[in-house]
Amino acid sequence: MSLFQDYETESFYDEMFEANGKPRPHYQKLYARLSQMSPEEFRKRTLLADKALIQQGITFTVYGDEKGTERPFPFDLIPRIVPTPEWELLERGLKQRLTALNLFLHDIYHDQKILNDGIVPRELVVGAVNFRPQFRYADPPAGIYVHICGSDLIRDADGTYRVLEDNLRTPSGVSYVLESRIILTRTFPSLFSDIAVRPVDHYTTQLLANLRELAPPGREEDPNVVLLTPGVFNSAYFEHSFLAQQLGIELLEGRDLFCDDNIVYMKTTRGPQRVDVIYRRVDDDFLDPLTFRPDSVLGVPGLVNAYRAGNVALANSIGTGIADDKVIYAFVPRIIEYYLGEKALIPNVETYLASNPQDYTYILENLDKLVVKAANESGGYGMLMGHKSTQKEREEFAERIKAEPRNYIAQPLIALSRAPAFVEDHCEGRHIDLRPYLLYGKSGITLIPGALTRVALRKGSYVVNSSQGGGSKDTWVLAEGQETLTQQMGGMSQTMSATGMSQSFTLPGSPSTLQANEGGAQ
Amino acid sequence: MLSRDADACFWIGRYVERAEATARMVDVHYHATLESGLSDTASSDSPTPWDSLLAISHSTEEFYSKHKLMSDSQLIYFFAFDTENPNSIISSWSRARENSRSIREQIASEMWEALNIFYLQLREWDVERVLAEGPHAFFQRVENASHLFQGILNRTLMMGETRDWLDVGRFLERGDQTARLLDVKYHDLLPAYREGEPESMEPLGVGSTLDMHGWIAVLKSVSAFEMYRKTYRGGILPASVVDFLVLNSQFPASVRHCVGRVEGCLKRISGNGSGSISSAEPERVVGRLLADLTYSRPDEIILEGLHEFLEGVQIRCAEVGTAITRAYLSY
Repeated sequence: MSLFQDYETESFYDEMFEANGKPRPHYQKLYARLSQMSPEEFRKRTLLADKALIQQGITFTVYGDEKGTERPFPFDLIPRIVPTPEWELLERGLKQRLTALNLFLHDIYHDQKILNDGIVPRELVVGAVNFRPQFRYADPPAGIYVHICGSDLIRDADGTYRVLEDNLRTPSGVSYVLESRIILTRTFPSLFSDIAVRPVDHYTTQLLANLRELAPPGREEDPNVVLLTPGVFNSAYFEHSFLAQQLGIELLEGRDLFCDDNIVYMKTTRGPQRVDVIYRRVDDDFLDPLTFRPDSVLGVPGLVNAYRAGNVALANSIGTGIADDKVIYAFVPRIIEYYLGEKALIPNVETYLASNPQDYTYILENLDKLVVKAANESGGYGMLMGHKSTQKEREEFAERIKAEPRNYIAQPLIALSRAPAFVEDHCEGRHIDLRPYLLYGKSGITLIPGALTRVALRKGSYVVNSSQGGGSKDTWVLAEGQETLTQQMGGMSQTMSATGMSQSFTLPGSPSTLQANEGGAQ
Repeated sequence: MLSRDADACFWIGRYVERAEATARMVDVHYHATLESGLSDTASSDSPTPWDSLLAISHSTEEFYSKHKLMSDSQLIYFFAFDTENPNSIISSWSRARENSRSIREQIASEMWEALNIFYLQLREWDVERVLAEGPHAFFQRVENASHLFQGILNRTLMMGETRDWLDVGRFLERGDQTARLLDVKYHDLLPAYREGEPESMEPLGVGSTLDMHGWIAVLKSVSAFEMYRKTYRGGILPASVVDFLVLNSQFPASVRHCVGRVEGCLKRISGNGSGSISSAEPERVVGRLLADLTYSRPDEIILEGLHEFLEGVQIRCAEVGTAITRAYLSY
């Protein structure tokens, strides 16, 4: 029996297969290789990969689950492939979007031209939970607000990529991109042969270089860059410690830091040591009890003032949440046009705003067909999937929308594209999304050629969040005339054979024996 | 080094050592009960090996608050799997694991994995399985897991402050455990001593056959039996055992050796006082304790009261811990 026997694309756009059941050109090699494999063999590899994940502690925490505080992140071994032309379009589109959103942030925290010109309604911005008036007129280094961006894209029934959500605060998941590539190359090296997959492991190098550039004046020589985490109980803690390890920087909690005269210090066994750049994975609200939530114990009193004074840099900057607000999202195509004079290269998903009177009526009348989202929730919480909802849930949401129209948006249910995922002993189509990661530094924006592909592992489910039964796939961006993973692996095997040669040098009597011994007993 | 990370290392060192010490002591005592035929009799007036084990870990009250009688399976559960017992193997190991999770970017990933993998394995065991497969096999695994962790640490971790903090925790715990073990066992094994007549024990160490087994169990509890034999050819004498476990400078579990290692680590950490923090206090406390251990004689300690001496050692080990915390970890 083959993995793909009886595979049905149904009416969805399938990443691997055309509607007639033929594999798409960029999947042909992978398809051929997988077809030769027995389901038992594939299952064995899956178990191996799962074991590796558990042993390395690559797990996530489910909130509200008292017993099993941690679970391995479900990982589907069949990679998702993005061909070069598609990736090039995404690259241009995502850079365009991030450039515009960063200009938008700078504008609304300074002169607010876009509000004065009436492109974005003023009340939507100044009334938003994530707008930080305390931070107006502050100047982050080089005018960059969003250093790390991980927006969510989907493909609709026609295969068109669309942005579903921007993530400009503390996007997570990149550790799974890096780790899943490592695990796949270890458990399934044969999959990669003769497929030109672009490597992703320079992510942390680029990120560290960008963070170091943010050092305050006079501290550029050897800035102390740290990562601020809410702590072990945060669902993304694994990622925080993974990144700190890969970046070679300290992983701190708020209680490790204090401010004195607008300078931030960490408490070390050799006394206080100055901190220059903070890659923070703590939300604005919890960052500084003196400025934001006074009950926060995760933050550092005085941090915001130290930042304003330019004595420490934060990545991402404060107040970026206003630009990934789900209501502001609807205006992003107009924001791009306003600042760049260009049409958006990657379209949005059609969005209805409950704050708009016409849309309001439409939403309330069509709750059973729409996906309703709260403007500031994430992780798949605070969401209504209309087509699967009960009468009671719809009534509840209707009440919430009426009480707070500003806080709700609705979108038509998109038939998300699907990709084959391994289920027990065969493959079935499962809905997926795509989260690529962009790094914005002084020298420009870098898009890492790879992404987190999240997959809704429950049959028929559209929700890909890990807290709701989602898993992930390795994402292969194909290279044309660029450095590839197979080339890198080839390089590795050359090094290994060179080692083999040095052993044969030490044959007795050969002139190299002397050289080999020089550093040794003599 | 970040104070919180140093604190985590200190406790990882302590907890891994504690898990290993508990495994070893329970293992030895379990097998001692088998040999002496005491395993199911709690009626005898003389303390059973289990009683002294509870005393060593300061758990007597805690245990009897939950269990009326002691049975092998209850005791194994209590020492290995009871998550409410803060000194059980599972409690110690999972705290070591939690601490290492919070600093996994500081240590080699293999070190974290060693703690994590064994934690996952521990959770697959229960008392029934321990009894079915043989307690020794189980406790051996715990010891091996600790040794694996230590081996990976030795092989991967930089010779620096992180390692020193792990070692401070490890040796402080080990020295403390040895002192406690000897304190309780000495009390149990020498009835004359118990009755406050040390003078009547001349020459020290002529005990009954049962006592001999007891002393061997003491040595085996800290893996000292074979090394003791090599060091003292004259046989098993209480004064020699005290000398070996308390004052020997070369045996890795002797109190003096452990305190010496702690002192060495603290000196490296403080860079002999060149740091900005006053490091004098921890070094003063540990240095004074080391001096006492270095210049005392075993017969003198016994005549003046071994219990008082060992109790003093335990209190001073706790003082070292407090001084370290004040100077480095939470200032």
